[in-house]
Amino acid sequence: MRLETCWFCSSNIYPGRGVVFARNDGTIFRFCRSKCHNNFKMKRNPRKVKWTKAYRAARGKDLTNDTTFELERKRNRPERYNRDTMQKTLKAMERITEIRNQRESRFIANRLKERKRQEKLQARKQLDQEIHLIKSPAATETVASTSKAKLKTPIEKVRGREKMQE
Amino acid sequence: MIQAQSFLKVADNTGARKIMCIRVLGGRKKYANVGDVFIGVVKDAAPNMPVKKSDVVRAVVVRTRKGLQRENGITLRFEENAAVIVNAEDQPRGTRLFGPIARELRDRNFTKIISLAPEVL
Repeated sequence: MRLETCWFCSSNIYPGRGVVFARNDGTIFRFCRSKCHNNFKMKRNPRKVKWTKAYRAARGKDLTNDTTFELERKRNRPERYNRDTMQKTLKAMERITEIRNQRESRFIANRLKERKRQEKLQARKQLDQEIHLIKSPAATETVASTSKAKLKTPIEKVRGREKMQE
Repeated sequence: MIQAQSFLKVADNTGARKIMCIRVLGGRKKYANVGDVFIGVVKDAAPNMPVKKSDVVRAVVVRTRKGLQRENGITLRFEENAAVIVNAEDQPRGTRLFGPIARELRDRNFTKIISLAPEVL
């Protein structure tokens, strides 16, 4: 059993999933789900639909050329079963997916780095120039003075009353 | 899902272009899919060919839009509904076939159709 890739979104098609469409000229299209099949029927170009792998690859949003992708290549020559190679492959699969995930996340982080730096600069600039939007210096001063005066008087009055009562 | 009144394209060189299903053969079968035989009437035909318009013929379904489900879980769908005209012994009456044809026909002993087909899927 072979894991095929979806013609539209390039995701894996596991056995029992999806649809195979044969055009009259004999070309075969494999789809992972009805969403992809329907998009194909609407004659959409996967390179222009944002959620597909083809779109992200075409715009440099994902890691594309990497040695870790060599593991999942289509090989038409069947491999003879060998216990050792089987075990090695199973180990390698885990390790390689781990490495690939790391590289992919690093690639995306690098891609977003410049934008994040710009945003930070912008925020700092705004904090310097527009601090009055958060707290006005004049307002804080007056509030402090009035509240003090107001606080002081009642306490003194209360104390005075207490003394009188004594 | 081919039933009475369904129109199918003819995927051979007998001269018929379109046939209409009038009866699906095989007991109380309601719908025909790939590999099923039905009786049809020729609705459109090319001139000066063995099969004429309004001829009543036997034909076998070779492609359906509905598609077929295989044992291994694959759903195979085609672009159109198409049939091949056969004689009483289930041999194709034409000498050439057009378009891809599903492998399921071999299981139904349409070996001649399989061998004539340009592409078997």
